[in-house]
Amino acid sequence: MMIDIRNVHKTFGGFPALSDVSLKIKEGELVALLGPSGSGKTSLLRILAGLEFPDSGQVLFDGGDATNVSVRDRRVGFVFQHYALFRHMTVFDNVAFGLTVRRGPGRLSKEEIGDRVRHLLEMVQLGGLAERYPSQLSGGQRQRVALARALAIQPKVLLLDEPFGALDARVRKELRRWLRNLHDELKITGVFVTHDQEEALDVADRVVVMNKGRIEQAGTPTQIYDSPATPFVYQFLGNVNSLECHIRDGVAQIGSLTLPASAYAGVQEAAGLAFVRPHDLLLSKMGEGAGAQAEVRHISILGPLVRVELLLGEQVLEAEISRQRHAELGLKIGQQVLIWPRQARFFLRDSWQGTSLLDPETPIDHAI
Amino acid sequence: MSTRLNPLLESRAVRIGLTLVAAIILLLFLFAPLVVVFGEALSKGLGAYLDALTEPDTLSSIWLTLVVAAICVPVNLVFGICAAWCVAKFDFRGKSLLTTIIDLPFSVSPVIAGLIYVLVFGLQGWLGPWLRDHGIHIIFALPGIVLATLFITFPFVARELIPLMEEQGTEAEEAAVSLGANGWQVFRRVTLPNVKWGLLYGVLLCNARAMGEFGAVSVVSGHIRGRTTTMPLQVEILYNEYNMVAAFAVASLLAMLALVTLAVKTFFEWRYAKELAA
Repeated sequence: MMIDIRNVHKTFGGFPALSDVSLKIKEGELVALLGPSGSGKTSLLRILAGLEFPDSGQVLFDGGDATNVSVRDRRVGFVFQHYALFRHMTVFDNVAFGLTVRRGPGRLSKEEIGDRVRHLLEMVQLGGLAERYPSQLSGGQRQRVALARALAIQPKVLLLDEPFGALDARVRKELRRWLRNLHDELKITGVFVTHDQEEALDVADRVVVMNKGRIEQAGTPTQIYDSPATPFVYQFLGNVNSLECHIRDGVAQIGSLTLPASAYAGVQEAAGLAFVRPHDLLLSKMGEGAGAQAEVRHISILGPLVRVELLLGEQVLEAEISRQRHAELGLKIGQQVLIWPRQARFFLRDSWQGTSLLDPETPIDHAI
Repeated sequence: MSTRLNPLLESRAVRIGLTLVAAIILLLFLFAPLVVVFGEALSKGLGAYLDALTEPDTLSSIWLTLVVAAICVPVNLVFGICAAWCVAKFDFRGKSLLTTIIDLPFSVSPVIAGLIYVLVFGLQGWLGPWLRDHGIHIIFALPGIVLATLFITFPFVARELIPLMEEQGTEAEEAAVSLGANGWQVFRRVTLPNVKWGLLYGVLLCNARAMGEFGAVSVVSGHIRGRTTTMPLQVEILYNEYNMVAAFAVASLLAMLALVTLAVKTFFEWRYAKELAA
C-alpha cells in the first residue's frame, strides 16, 4: 500500500512531537524512521497506525484519507516494542486473535483459522511452539510471535516499533536479516522505528532521519550515509569529526589546514563546521606530502582497523587507518604527523542555527 | 530474575533465630486463637455445637450474612472493575479525586460509616421523615446493613486491580484493537483475563470483609434478634449472654470462612501457577 503523509503536526501537552512532517512511502517499500529518542519517530508510527491522531495534517492510504480512521479499521499490522503479547494465551491463540475477533462476512471457520495460524507459525519458524505461553519463549521467539500475530490479519502495511530494541546483539542481527528476507518475500509495505543507525542502513530500502519532530533527510541508505543533508544527519550517522572552521572567499581554514570551499565563494567571513569521516582522514609522515601538522594522542587497535586520536591545534580528531598503513607509518603516541582530509563537507554556522537547518539548499558537497 | 541476597550469607544462628521468632509469633497470635475458637465451640461436644448453630436466631443471622454478601460482592465487583479500568487506563480530570474517594472507606472508622447512614436515613436524619411517610425502612433493616457493608467493602476489588492494571499498561489493549477487536472483545478477552487472579483475590477479600464486618453494621442494624443481626453481631450478643458454646460456634463459622478463603486462593495459585507466571 502507498502511504502519503501530508503536513502532519502533533503536540503532546504543549510539546511539539511532530512539526510539519510530510513523507511519501511507496508500495512495497521498507522504510526506517531513524532518530534519537524524542525525535518524533514513534509518534509518527503511531499516527500511521491510528493509535494517535494528528492535530493537523493528513494521512492518505492509497490516495484515500485515512486520517480519522480508527486503528481497528485500518488493517495495519502493528508490532510493539515490547511485543505486547497476550500473556494468558498460547502462541496459537495469540496469532489467531485477529481472526477470532472478526465478525460479519470476513469471519473464517475454525479450520481456516487453524490453517492460517499454522502456516504463519511455520513462516516465523515457530511451528513446534504453538501450545507454549509467551513467558516460555525467548525474546527473539516472542518477537516472531508478535510479527506472526500482526501478519495474521493480512495487513496492508506492517508497522514495527523498535522491533529489535529489546534483544541482545546476536539475536538482533539474525532477526534483522530474517525480517529483510521476509519483507522481500511478502512484498508488504513496511515502516519500522529505530534509533540504531546500523539497523536502519542495513535493513531499510529508505531511511528517514528525524530530529526534534522534523524530517532531516529521507533517502536510500547510500544517499543518507554518503551525502548527509544536514549537520545533524552527519553526526547521527556514523562516526564523524566536526571541526570549527572559518570560511572566507571560497576557502575554509581549519586550524593550519586550508581547504577549498568553492561553493562558498561569495561568503566574505563566516564561522562554519567541517565534517570529516574518520576513514576520510589521511595520515602521512612529516615531510611526505601535504597537510596540516597534528599530534598523535592515542592509538587503539580495533580488529582490522586502527583508530588514531589526533590533536590539531586545540581540536581533537579521530582517524581510522588500516593495520597495514599503521605499520608503514610506525605511529607512536606524541609523534607529529601530517593529516589531509580526502573528503570534507562544510556547513555555515549561521545557516544551520534555527529552522533553516532543514533547508536542503544550504549544504554543498565538496570533494577535495 | 530478581537479585536476592543469598540467604546463606547470614550466619547460622541468625537464620535459626529469625525463623524461630517468626514461627513463634505466627503460632501465638494467629494459630493459637484459631485453635481456641474451635476448642471452645466444641467444648460441650459436637451435639451442643450443632444445636447452637441450628438455633433459629443463629440460622437467620447466617442467612442474613449470606444475603448481604450476595448483594455486596457482585455490586463491588462491577464497581471495582469499572473504577480500576477508568483509573488505570485513562487520564481524566478528577482522577486523583476518584482514587481518594475509593480509599475513603479504608481511612474512615467503620462506626463513623454506620453513623453517616443513620444521620442520612435515620428517623431523625435528613431523609428520615420522608422515608417513614412512604413506609421505606432502611435503618434497622436489611437495606441499611447492605448500604453500610457496601461502603466498607467499596475499595477491596478496585484497590486490588488498580496497581495491576497500571503495571500492565495499555499496550496489550492497543494490540488487540489494532487486530480488529471491538471494545467489549478487548475487555473480555484481554483486559479481564490479565487481571483475573487479582480480581479473584479482590473478590475473596471483599467477601470475607462483607461477611465479617462488625462496626458499621452494628450501628445501622439495631440488633433485632432473628431479623437484623448478622453473624458477627450474633457472636457479640451470644457472648454478652455468656453463651460461650454458641458464641464460639458462630465464631468458628467465620473462622472457617477465613480458612476457606485462604484455601481457595492457594488452590488457584497452585493450579494456575503456569499462567500466573506468564
